[in-house]
Amino acid sequence: MDETVRPLNMPSCANFATRRKLYSIAAMLMLVLVFAKTGEPRLLRDQAGRTVSVPDNPLRVVSLAPSITEIIFALGESGRLKGVTQHCDFPEAAKSLPKVGSYVHLDLERIVALKPDLCIAVRDGNPENVVTELEALGIPVYAVDPRNLDTAVDTVLEVGQLLDATTKAQRLAIEMRARIERVTERVAKTRLRPRVFFQIGDAPIVSAGNNTVISELIVAAGGQNLAEGPTSYPRFSMEQVLALQPEIVIITSMTKEVDLQQMCAEWRKYEGLPAVRDNRIFVVEADLFDRVTPRLIDGLETLAGIIHPELFR
Amino acid sequence: MKATAPYVYPILKRILTVSLVLGLLLIISAFLGLSMGSTAQNIRQILAVLSGRADQYPTLSNIVWRIRLPRVILAALVGATLSLGGLVFQALLRNPLAEPYILGISGGSAVGAIIGILLGMSPFPGVAFFAFAGSMATLLLVLLIASTRSAMKKDTLILAGVMVNAFCSSVIMFLISLTQDSRLHNILFWLMGDLSLSDTHRTLMLMVSLLPCFVALFLFARPMNILLLGEEMAANMGVDVRLTPLVLLLITSFMVSIVVCHTGLLGFVGLVIPHLLRLLFGPDHRLLVPACILGGGAYLILCDLLARSLPSQGEMPVGVITAMIGAPLFILLLRRSRR
Repeated sequence: MDETVRPLNMPSCANFATRRKLYSIAAMLMLVLVFAKTGEPRLLRDQAGRTVSVPDNPLRVVSLAPSITEIIFALGESGRLKGVTQHCDFPEAAKSLPKVGSYVHLDLERIVALKPDLCIAVRDGNPENVVTELEALGIPVYAVDPRNLDTAVDTVLEVGQLLDATTKAQRLAIEMRARIERVTERVAKTRLRPRVFFQIGDAPIVSAGNNTVISELIVAAGGQNLAEGPTSYPRFSMEQVLALQPEIVIITSMTKEVDLQQMCAEWRKYEGLPAVRDNRIFVVEADLFDRVTPRLIDGLETLAGIIHPELFR
Repeated sequence: MKATAPYVYPILKRILTVSLVLGLLLIISAFLGLSMGSTAQNIRQILAVLSGRADQYPTLSNIVWRIRLPRVILAALVGATLSLGGLVFQALLRNPLAEPYILGISGGSAVGAIIGILLGMSPFPGVAFFAFAGSMATLLLVLLIASTRSAMKKDTLILAGVMVNAFCSSVIMFLISLTQDSRLHNILFWLMGDLSLSDTHRTLMLMVSLLPCFVALFLFARPMNILLLGEEMAANMGVDVRLTPLVLLLITSFMVSIVVCHTGLLGFVGLVIPHLLRLLFGPDHRLLVPACILGGGAYLILCDLLARSLPSQGEMPVGVITAMIGAPLFILLLRRSRR
């Protein structure tokens, strides 16, 4: 991920330097705070607004969602990780860790048997009663709730703080912010906002509305999200999609490769569609868009390259 | 009174013997349920924890007492309730195939419960009330459909139940397709019959509401025997032929609906257990009610054990197991009752 910090424009470079100074000051302040408190459990407020007593240097951490596993690996703290969920498949090393069920259907017994000193949960997805049970058994559960690019960066910082990896987290956060800024700055140079239809499911066709990461990424990458609206994951009939006249169609790879080829072929049947005419139907990796992790920035850069190829060559 | 005394004592003795045997079976199943689970443990440690020397193995003790025990108790309560449900419906409707799931009562409760959940009700009393209303509505509907044709003919009743059930499933699918909820996955799992959401508090709540119903049904065992002789005979023997069935149906629907709230749809338990026990111990309900409570409990504990240990990853809903055992038996019974 480090090699992706690409050359930046002059103005943003200056901006970057001042930010970096600020962050290093913040990091030092935080270090002072952390060292002042060593030895005793810290009382922290998690992203679900609950106060959790977290051990100072947790050594047996169980991650209750794929996104959390990715963040912990990105921070280089996988040594603390003693258990992950069934779908934690990135990076490759996560697959060999003990599994504690799927993140919506956790196996309480397996979690407890791993004797964790800290569990990290996602607020949206992990069943609440499992969290309550774990806490009743004396296992602290810190809940994160990353919903967009901003909170993704915050979550990296918070998980870093939890795992005594503040410096690494700061560095990662700075890098993430710089990459986001680079995309938004380039996109700001053009008024062009192509009409994007982002397809998540095959049958029925599902897209992403307001308050979703996907919608935020499309807008940040300089596109217009055709599924904009109050419903988070609205369903569409083919008829409705055709009426929206998408200039770009993006399909996530939730399904198998063969099905994807078939889905693309399905779209190409509608020759009048701008996206078909200009041959702008793309397949992207689903994990880059539905997991709020550092890889989300990869997703953003992928989208930007698709929507504004003229700016990101 | 004097004349009945010699008749009462043998049955009392039989009740005690049967309860003792089935109680032993329940205890063995509970022991198996406590000692096996998704994490491998050695039996010596389990025995140490079960005999009260918990401080040596704090983690295992947590797993056994705080995670497995509520689940085993929940399974026993649910198994007992559904078996009793089958027993009561079979007696009242004089139909060997009647059972809460097949009659659509469970499906009706599920529709009510889902509506309650979608309206954002609290699990108790909000969702439970909706589930009870749903079960009563479907019961009424089934009886109405069946009674319009040739007074409770066997097949008509079952057919009506199956159709109401199909209708309920479509309503459930409709409600699910309307929601954009992240709890969707959980609802689907719950629908298939799932005991994994057990915790100490919920299990206690369920126990408090179910145990009085068990006692009440035991007190109604003799009237149930008499009702089987036919309405006229029952009326002559001093049983209120209108009130008694009504009270029994109310109690049973209440029990089934709160069980559905907790564990979703578990089919065929009320078919398998009463039939098996009737085969073993004869048709006397004074014997069958306690036998259903103990035997049904043991049966579901063992089914849940299978559901927990068969898949290598995660677990499957226990409703899958009960249906796999129950559906073939249903077909067998249907063939036999046709003859």
